[in-house]
Amino acid sequence: MANVTARPAPLSRAGAGRFTRQERLAYTMLAPVLGTILVIVTYPFLLAVLQSLQDSAGREFVGPSNYVNALANPLLYEALGATGTYAALVMPTEILLGLGLALLVHRTVRSSSVRALLFVLATIPLVLPPIAVGVIARLIYAPGYGVLNYLLIGAGIVRDEINWLGQPATAMPAVASVDVWQWTPFVYLVLFSGLLTVPREEIEAAQVDGASGWQQFWHIELNYLRPLLLLIVFFRLADVLRVFDHVFVLTGGGPGNTTQLLSLYLYRIEFKYFDSGQAAALAVLVLVGVSIAYSLVTRALPVERR
Amino acid sequence: MRRAQWAPALVVAALLISACQPSTTGGGGAQKPAKLTIAAVQGNEDAALKAVAPLYEQKTGIKIEIVEFPYDQLFEKLVTTFKANSPTYDLVMMDDPWMPKFGTDESLQPLDSTYGIKRDSDIPDVVYDVGTWPPPRGPVPPKAKGKAAHLIGVTIVGNVEMFMYRSDMGPAPKTWDEVKANADKNKKANFWGYVVRGKATNPIVADFLPILWSFGGDVFDSNWNVTIDNAASLKAVKFLVQDLKAAAPPGSESIDAADRSRLMAIGQAYQSTVWPGEITEIVENSTVSQVKGKVSYIPMPAGPSGKGIGMMGNWLLGVPKASSNGQAAADFITWLTSSDTQKTYVDKGGIPARKSILNDASLNQKNPYFAALAKSLEAVPNWRPRTDQWNAVETILGTNLNAALAGLATPEDAVKKAADQIRTLMKGAGY
Repeated sequence: MANVTARPAPLSRAGAGRFTRQERLAYTMLAPVLGTILVIVTYPFLLAVLQSLQDSAGREFVGPSNYVNALANPLLYEALGATGTYAALVMPTEILLGLGLALLVHRTVRSSSVRALLFVLATIPLVLPPIAVGVIARLIYAPGYGVLNYLLIGAGIVRDEINWLGQPATAMPAVASVDVWQWTPFVYLVLFSGLLTVPREEIEAAQVDGASGWQQFWHIELNYLRPLLLLIVFFRLADVLRVFDHVFVLTGGGPGNTTQLLSLYLYRIEFKYFDSGQAAALAVLVLVGVSIAYSLVTRALPVERR
Repeated sequence: MRRAQWAPALVVAALLISACQPSTTGGGGAQKPAKLTIAAVQGNEDAALKAVAPLYEQKTGIKIEIVEFPYDQLFEKLVTTFKANSPTYDLVMMDDPWMPKFGTDESLQPLDSTYGIKRDSDIPDVVYDVGTWPPPRGPVPPKAKGKAAHLIGVTIVGNVEMFMYRSDMGPAPKTWDEVKANADKNKKANFWGYVVRGKATNPIVADFLPILWSFGGDVFDSNWNVTIDNAASLKAVKFLVQDLKAAAPPGSESIDAADRSRLMAIGQAYQSTVWPGEITEIVENSTVSQVKGKVSYIPMPAGPSGKGIGMMGNWLLGVPKASSNGQAAADFITWLTSSDTQKTYVDKGGIPARKSILNDASLNQKNPYFAALAKSLEAVPNWRPRTDQWNAVETILGTNLNAALAGLATPEDAVKKAADQIRTLMKGAGY
């Protein structure tokens, strides 16, 4: 009897090509996704890198001079400072408010119809165009006829109008408040969904052991929310770097350059100064910066549950 | 078999290619197209255009498709479309300060030499001049020197910045000194003597330039030397950020045109500069205004120079270089600006530039700013400096003026900083 060695079944080959049928099928299935990524992500990025090394007309190679010019412009650091201040105001506020709301609703609201209503209400700010939100916010903060001053004066809290958008001390918080209003519901929705995944048995066991509400949150729920918090931080960080519309509508970057965030600065370099090379260099630098920030966030907030 | 496998893909490709072809009934660029696509600014500036466009379709069978964008997005869209030499739009609406950029970049087709559009004596020369590149008067940018001048845009919104005041409360100011005196006299609780449109960048610059010119100052001299920090210019800056601000509502630093008109409309302000669009949309709109009929409109008051100088803010239609329907697009411009169409256009809220319409007594009753607009055009208003760097200059100047208005910088420091930055910019651009 011949000794037959067990071998894997030969992969069928339709032709003399290098790939098996299964491999070809796999590549064919992947091709649309890879092609899409190539077209909408990789290709524009490579173009941006190329543009960052050319003059603004895109005719001559200028080496790293666009990067040097971009980094030498003091307005960049003002814009970075403004963006940092904005992020420091909006991100902790949104996360704490969103988390607080999610915990409150999760622990106190049992009715599924009320929860559904809250879900719908929380979705509204998210679907509004940022430019429309800016226009509405303008009606709140506008000098002369702004609703907020009207209410504050009417309630006797202040005697004179507060110049919300015209002075540095209040312009940035006013602009940031719009972001907080629009994006806190996002944090709430994500974290509330996260709380729904916490097994009831774990909470009940903790309650039997006499754990307080805070201990339940800190030792059980937070572990389930951790990856979602990472997601929120990353999304909000990316959004903060793109904030444009409502700042443009409310202050136009003023007073002076106080609220000129990075996106507004970048827009002006491209569409006011027509310096495409420097704008592309800035875009590449921002991407590098975001990648570093992302890796720091990932390290600071490990995804694994303890 | 292999051919059969590729057949559906070929059919799809063929369909896609045919869908990307320009839609003409005859197929050629000179033939009658099925439609013309216009990129327009969203707001009161294109309202009348939208209203009369169907009439053109009725008359010619050519559909007019209007794609609207907010002000800044329109500019971005045009810059990127022209850069890509894309034939997406057959006609584009442009604010007149954009013309130097598009003229320098040669993004538009000449309407005079290519399509035979001629000047009409019923329309002031300055209206055609603002759509001509290189500019027929004033300094010419280095890149445009020696080039033949062509009409590359025709005005369809005859905006000129003017002045408004509460004529039920006092006489018309003839000078900026009288403006200041009236502002101080009429300022009281919840009522402001003057509204400064002081939001950073474009708004504050648009508000400031007529004052600057009336004070004998300017951003550049006739050789592109920066003069925003000379004595006359500094005096104008101080007048705006100190004298006028003293009578203005708090928050001038963030006030834009819509806020200004609202403050007038709700009876909380005595006077300010104004664009025609604000008049029709807010101040004289009885559904939102409490002061309809109580406000009068005049050309800009005179400054120490003895002259009051208004500012052009025309919106023009031009034909992009990439459009394959140039002749049909030019025909539409001719139809839209014709005397007959302009009567309907005005009836739908359009802002004309034709003298016969602006001086028509019956139309003046319905449009109380027409006489002032006619006078402003007759006096030949200034245009913003015709340089392709204007957007950057405006951003620099507008940021520094806003800082001075907010008290973050002294007028002296603000003009010095602005002048230094503008000099660096212009030098880098070859001026």
